[in-house]
Amino acid sequence: MDKSTIICRCEEISYEEIEEVIGNGARTFDDIKRLTRCGMGPCQAKICTSLVAKVIHAETGKPFHEIPLPRMRMPLSPIKLETLATSSTSFSTVKSVLDEVELEDGKVR
Amino acid sequence: METDVLIIGAGPAGLAAALETASRGLAVILIDESSSLGGQLPQQTQLIRPLPAEYGPVRGFELAEKLINQLEDYPINYLLKHRVVGLYADGSVGITDEENVFPIKAKKMIVATGAAERAVAFPKWTMPGIMTIGAAQTLINRDFALPGNEAVIIGSSDFAMDVALQLKSVGVNVKGIVEEQPEVTARDNVKIERVQQSGVPIYLNAAIIEAKGNGEVSEVVIEHAGRVLTEKVDLVCVDGGRSPILDLFYQLGCSFGYQEKLGGWIPQYNSNFQTDRENAFLAGNAAGVTSQGAILLTGMIAGISVCENLQAISQDEAQQIRGSLLKELEILEDKDVWESRIHHIESYANPKLKDQFIS
Repeated sequence: MDKSTIICRCEEISYEEIEEVIGNGARTFDDIKRLTRCGMGPCQAKICTSLVAKVIHAETGKPFHEIPLPRMRMPLSPIKLETLATSSTSFSTVKSVLDEVELEDGKVR
Repeated sequence: METDVLIIGAGPAGLAAALETASRGLAVILIDESSSLGGQLPQQTQLIRPLPAEYGPVRGFELAEKLINQLEDYPINYLLKHRVVGLYADGSVGITDEENVFPIKAKKMIVATGAAERAVAFPKWTMPGIMTIGAAQTLINRDFALPGNEAVIIGSSDFAMDVALQLKSVGVNVKGIVEEQPEVTARDNVKIERVQQSGVPIYLNAAIIEAKGNGEVSEVVIEHAGRVLTEKVDLVCVDGGRSPILDLFYQLGCSFGYQEKLGGWIPQYNSNFQTDRENAFLAGNAAGVTSQGAILLTGMIAGISVCENLQAISQDEAQQIRGSLLKELEILEDKDVWESRIHHIESYANPKLKDQFIS
C-alpha cells in the first residue's frame, strides 16, 4: 500500500505514521492509538480498526487472531455531555464534574 | 424501566428473537437507533434466499414487512431512535433518546447489533464520491438519490453483484468491478451471469492503485493484467466485507474468539447462543457474519434459549426446538461458515481474548 494512504480518517493518520510507531515497538491497536491518536476521533475507531489490523499484519507478520481488539469504552457512541449529565441520576460522576464548573455570565470562571 | 427481555437491534435477528419471546408471554423491549424496524432489510430490493420455509424467497423489504407484521398481536415495547450508551454497575443497560439517559433492567438481553461494512484503504479513499457498497444502496433505495453517474465497484461479493445490478437499473454506468482475487467471490452464479450479461466488465487479479480528484473523486487508477487502466468516475463503491459490531459485548465483559469466515473477532457463545455473561444472548451477524436465512434462525435460537432460561417453555421443548433450528441452520448456511461456527462454539471454554480491562 502507498505509504501516504490515510488509515484513520478522523484523525488523518497515514500508513507511514503507523509504520513508524510499529518500528518503535507498537504491537496492538491501543499501542498505536496512544502514540498517534489513531482511532481517537469522532468515530472512535469504528472505521479504522480493521485497517490498522491489516497494517500490523503487513508490518509484523502477526496473524490476525493475535492482534487484539481495541478497548471499547463508554459511551459506545458520541453523546452530548448535557444529555448524559442533566437527566441522569446514575451517571453521577459526570454530573458532579459539571456541577463543579462555576459559571459567570454563562462562561467558565 | 424493567422487562423480561431486552433486545438490542431491530434487524432480522432482533425481530425473529422478539417473535419467539413475545409469543410465549414474555415482556419484551426492542430498541434500535434508527427510526424504523427491519435493520438493513427495508432498502434491500434484491431477492433473498435461501430463507427458512415459512418466509421465502422474498425481497428484502418484503421480508422486513413479514417480520414486522407477525409481531402485530404482541405487546412489544418498541424504542426506536434509542441507543445503548453503556452499562450501569448493577447490570442495567444505559439507554439514550438524545434527550435523556435512563436505565433498563432486563432479566435477559439479546444483543443483535449486526455487522458494519469494512473500509478499503487506497490513496485518497476518503474523498467524497467514494463510499461503501451498502451506502450506495441506501442512497438509491431508501433516499431515492443517485449516488453518481459513472461508477467503479471494488469487490465482487454477492452483495456487490446485487448493488451493481441495482445501480445499472437506475441508470448509473457501472464501468467495472475490480477484484483482487483470481476469481469472483460471489457464490450465486445466476447473479454473476446477470452482471456479465449486463455488460459490466469484471477485472480479476486486479487492484485499485489510487483515486484522483480535486475535492471529489474524478478518476480511479486500476492495475489489471500488467496494464494500468484509468477510468473517469464520480462514484467508487467499496466492498470490504463486514465485521460484527462488538462494543456492547466488550462492555459486558464477554470473551472473544477469532473466526475469519465469520467476520473476524466474535463473542464467544455456546450452542444456546448464550455468551459467557449468563444474562446476555446474541443473534444475527453479531454472532458471525452470515446469510439472511441464517440470521433469522440464530434469532429464533437465541429467543428459544431465553424462553427456556425464564421458564416460559420447558427444557425438553426448548432442546427439541433448538435441535431442529440448528439442523435447519446447518442446511441453510454456507458450509464453510457453518463449520467455522461449530468450531467457534466448540472453543467456548478456550477463548482467545478474555478478562479485558473495561473502563
